[in-house]
Amino acid sequence: MDVSNLKKNAKLRLDGHPYVVVDFQFVKPGKGQGLYKCRLKNMLTGSVFDRTFRSGDKLEDADVESRTMQFLYATGDDYTFMDQESYEQLELGASIVGDDKRFLIDQLQVDVLLYEGRAVGLTLPGHVTMTVTHCEPGVKGDTATGATKGATVETGYLVQVPLFIKEQERIKIDTRSGDYVERVNA
Amino acid sequence: MGLWDGVTDALRVYLRAEGLREVATPTVIDAPAVEPYIEPSRIGVRFLRTSPELALKRLLCHGSGSIYELAAVFREGESGPHHLPEFHLLEWYRVGASLRRTMTDVESMVAAARQLGGGVAPRWRVVSLLERMGEDLGRPLRGDESAGDLAPLLARVSSLAAVALRRREATSSEESVARLEAWTELYTLWSTRMFDPWLRALGPDHAVHLVAFPAPLAALSQVLDGVAQRFESFVGGVELANGYLELADPTEQRRRFEAVNGLRGRAGAQPLPVDEAFLADLRHPGLPDCAGVALGMDRLVMVAAAATSLAEIRYLPDRA
Repeated sequence: MDVSNLKKNAKLRLDGHPYVVVDFQFVKPGKGQGLYKCRLKNMLTGSVFDRTFRSGDKLEDADVESRTMQFLYATGDDYTFMDQESYEQLELGASIVGDDKRFLIDQLQVDVLLYEGRAVGLTLPGHVTMTVTHCEPGVKGDTATGATKGATVETGYLVQVPLFIKEQERIKIDTRSGDYVERVNA
Repeated sequence: MGLWDGVTDALRVYLRAEGLREVATPTVIDAPAVEPYIEPSRIGVRFLRTSPELALKRLLCHGSGSIYELAAVFREGESGPHHLPEFHLLEWYRVGASLRRTMTDVESMVAAARQLGGGVAPRWRVVSLLERMGEDLGRPLRGDESAGDLAPLLARVSSLAAVALRRREATSSEESVARLEAWTELYTLWSTRMFDPWLRALGPDHAVHLVAFPAPLAALSQVLDGVAQRFESFVGGVELANGYLELADPTEQRRRFEAVNGLRGRAGAQPLPVDEAFLADLRHPGLPDCAGVALGMDRLVMVAAAATSLAEIRYLPDRA
């Protein structure tokens, strides 16, 4: 791709990494060279940096796509997902899934980022609803605002919840912060 | 829409009162001015003009006296907040005038345009490019340094500007091409990284004439004592006009066109045909002593409207 075709959200391959163009501006000091000042985000690490290209530079498109997949099951450190369109199954290792495994409940829909055909990233929905499998009963009369207790959910994740939460209740959890959001009434 | 009408009218009234006559020259031409980083649009084997410069100079050769043209011009691949692939240049030439005289023209025009937009005339100052660049880069510059002399400065400013230097292959090209390339590159990167931020920080009510360009950046201007007789005017950080004491020597002009074509080749651009009719007119009848300026009308109206991008002053919306 020629640099003059650059657009916001274009995906580029630079030094072997995929980048998305967050922002760019064409500048050209009087009779000098045209420059494309770009802000690029590394799609693997999320780090952002500025890079300037010149008129005439050739850029490489990054072969990146995002696919919606459903979580099927985990075997040891391998997590198996199924493509919602092709029904293909794909295994993701612990290095990609990382702490997100705390929120991987059966049939959860996630976005898997593929770079040159390899899975490189996982994006969860903003919230997941999970069932509390174990928690201490709340102490009657303890109404102090903000008081919490630990509760274990179906994936084994231990989250701080308000005292009124009981076992087998469904709760909504923020996948970015890992925090309890609210009780979900059946 | 009223502002465009008001500003173009005010400028015409001004130029006419100063004794310049309006002319019209062809839009479709056989050979554009040979510039390293301006790409003309092609129509078959011909070109859309990137500026009316060569045609206006031919008129000057043929005794037109002081003239101006408001010209729609076309440049491939230029698109951004301050760039359009089709825009309007107001270009004027004063016979027998000094460069300073045409700088005063720019000041008067900007004052008139700003007033029409409800603003104030900016305060002007003159900045020497060579001095300022030398201070910024920590080394005094004379303007005649070779490509080799400039290499360490280029390496520094390119890493500051986060831009890769063009890979230089071992090449047999002339020193004049290498020098032109090194100076253009240094100027581009220094502008982007150091000069533009400084200009923008001055604010919208300040304006600068940048003077004392190094000789290799003379383009179509005269060179005196190694310094190009050229200026560039900026208002509120926006580059608005370029002025030259025009080069009349046909041999030197041909040599520069060829150096620029050499540089185009190195940058992967196609060489451009040289306007032989223009060079012939420079030989005979010859170009009278004159100073000329090209001013971006769209940018002037943008500045008058206190807008920050050309999109804000476009009246015709894109088709959905």
